[in-house]
Amino acid sequence: MNLKYYIISLILISTLNSCTKSVDFNQIDDANVHPIYTSTLIYADFTAIKFLDANNQEITYTTDLIEAPIDKTTIKYLEKVEFTLIITNTFNREFNFHFNFFGDAGQLVYELKPIVIVAPNSGETTFTLEIPPDDIQVLNNTRYFGFLVTLKPSSDGSTLNGTEIANLNLKSSVKLYYNFRKI
Amino acid sequence: MRKLIYLFLFISLQNVAQNKQILYDFNNLPQTLLLNPGAEVYNQFHVGFPLLSQISFQAGFTGFSTYDIFANNGVPINDKIRKAINNYGKAEFFEANQQLEVINAGFRLKNNNYLSFGFYEEFNALAKIPRDLVDLFYEGNSVINRHYSIKKLAARAELLSVLHIGLSKKINKKWQVGARFKIYSSVFNVHSKLNTGELYLENGTNNIYKQHIDNVSFLMQTSGVFFDNTDVITQSYIQKKLLFGGNLGAGVDVGFTYHPKKHWTITGSILDFGFINYKKNIKSYRVKGSYEVEGIQLDFDLNNPQNYWQNLKDDFDNQVVLDTIYTKYSSLRPVKLNGSIAYAFGRPYYDDCHFYKESENYTDKMGMQIFSTIGAVHSYLAATLFYEKRINKHLQTKITYTADPFSFTNIGLGLSSHFRAFNMYLAADNLISLSNVYNTKSANIQLGINFIFNKKN
Repeated sequence: MNLKYYIISLILISTLNSCTKSVDFNQIDDANVHPIYTSTLIYADFTAIKFLDANNQEITYTTDLIEAPIDKTTIKYLEKVEFTLIITNTFNREFNFHFNFFGDAGQLVYELKPIVIVAPNSGETTFTLEIPPDDIQVLNNTRYFGFLVTLKPSSDGSTLNGTEIANLNLKSSVKLYYNFRKI
Repeated sequence: MRKLIYLFLFISLQNVAQNKQILYDFNNLPQTLLLNPGAEVYNQFHVGFPLLSQISFQAGFTGFSTYDIFANNGVPINDKIRKAINNYGKAEFFEANQQLEVINAGFRLKNNNYLSFGFYEEFNALAKIPRDLVDLFYEGNSVINRHYSIKKLAARAELLSVLHIGLSKKINKKWQVGARFKIYSSVFNVHSKLNTGELYLENGTNNIYKQHIDNVSFLMQTSGVFFDNTDVITQSYIQKKLLFGGNLGAGVDVGFTYHPKKHWTITGSILDFGFINYKKNIKSYRVKGSYEVEGIQLDFDLNNPQNYWQNLKDDFDNQVVLDTIYTKYSSLRPVKLNGSIAYAFGRPYYDDCHFYKESENYTDKMGMQIFSTIGAVHSYLAATLFYEKRINKHLQTKITYTADPFSFTNIGLGLSSHFRAFNMYLAADNLISLSNVYNTKSANIQLGINFIFNKKN
């Protein structure tokens, strides 16, 4: 074939073939991305002295508070928030662990359920607590996380003393399950 | 907004990088002098149609195509996104380049050297995105001991104008050499390179996990991007910056054409060997440091409450320092290298367009070209096979096959027509993808109008 006609044919074929295969940009409505971000959280170690007052009398609870580092712009994409607690208890006493959310004025806005019950001498136990999807919006009103550890009475009436060699060790982390919809 | 994103995605995937493989050494067009100042041109003088002598769009993304994600083929989009991310390399890059020639002219001097000059506007952008960051966004950070590195993260973007003047000189029958001097005026510049650092999660000692930010060193230099008052950014502001009111720099192009034997031609060029000094509207950011944390250790001391979160932030800020820098900086232009070897055959011809008869011209030419861009942000190589055919005295064609980081199936076509002094050319690649333009990862188009005069015009 004469090269001239070959090239002209090539151009024509290219032009005639110029088209698009079917694409559907509305599929973007169904697109989502589900990253899971894990962050370390709080940890603490309690010895007997934490549950004794100045007179070595047993106190039934201790508490602490941290400002909640919440990025409120991403709360709408959160599907689930899952806390993991690993608690090791070598006391012969039961402890309860409460995880509460407080607002700007210090008012209680949410109590994470269930309350963690740490059995006496329970060794290392893992607990998983979840903010259900319907409750995630409480994070918008949360300014502080509060932690309350209560010491339950002993079954035999004994009390802690300052020389007792035992501890309650708390480790924690949080997993944030996002669903970035309509990216 | 979403339509704008589609439009951007579509246009960006339509259009590739700064390789003008079709235009290079094509039909002795005046624009070839911008790709090789030592190229052979045979005309007496030329002038480009103002604003229309060269319009050039090039862009590409090496990662995936529009069709990979939005194909209407019954496969759920999330499966297609997953597949695209699975196929994502260690780092993929996006590059866009646009040029608009405002003026391009040239004439032959009495000593037979060819002097050419002009002024053009150029926008270029390149972003290199490491897979680690894509995975961090797509999957999160929950894989223990998976290190997410920013080592390959780099980017640059610039809008500038270039005033240039060059001379092409025939040394003898075998050698032609040339050089071009350029003055750059930058409207804005963003530059980030040589970033290092990684973050990861590992099992902790005092807590479940320990989080690390290791040896982060990130620098983003900007000029003409951040303003106290954005009202100053008007059309006249941009015009003023383009007309040498911006950050100034200088550079050179050099090139040659060599005929080792009668039918053989070897060419080569180095473009944009230069720099720009940024002194105006500077605002750069540097992040540097390392940090590791196992969490917040609570004291449960009711008598001595702590501001734990603030303490953690202060500790972090002390160890991972964010600096805002206002000092001037310089940046090298991304250097482009071109080279070719060609064998000419077919009928010899001499016509009105080629009055300068010292060189042999033939109707057919085939050969190979190499293109490379070398920059601090990113470098890459492209190889092209070409066949150039002179159909008649009015029409010259060039067909190219190019392998580059975007594609191994890139077929391009160039057409250049002459009717007396009137010249129009069109060069476009990725023609195979015209059957489905959404499926291309890159494309490249240049077109323009010149008036090329020889002694008889």
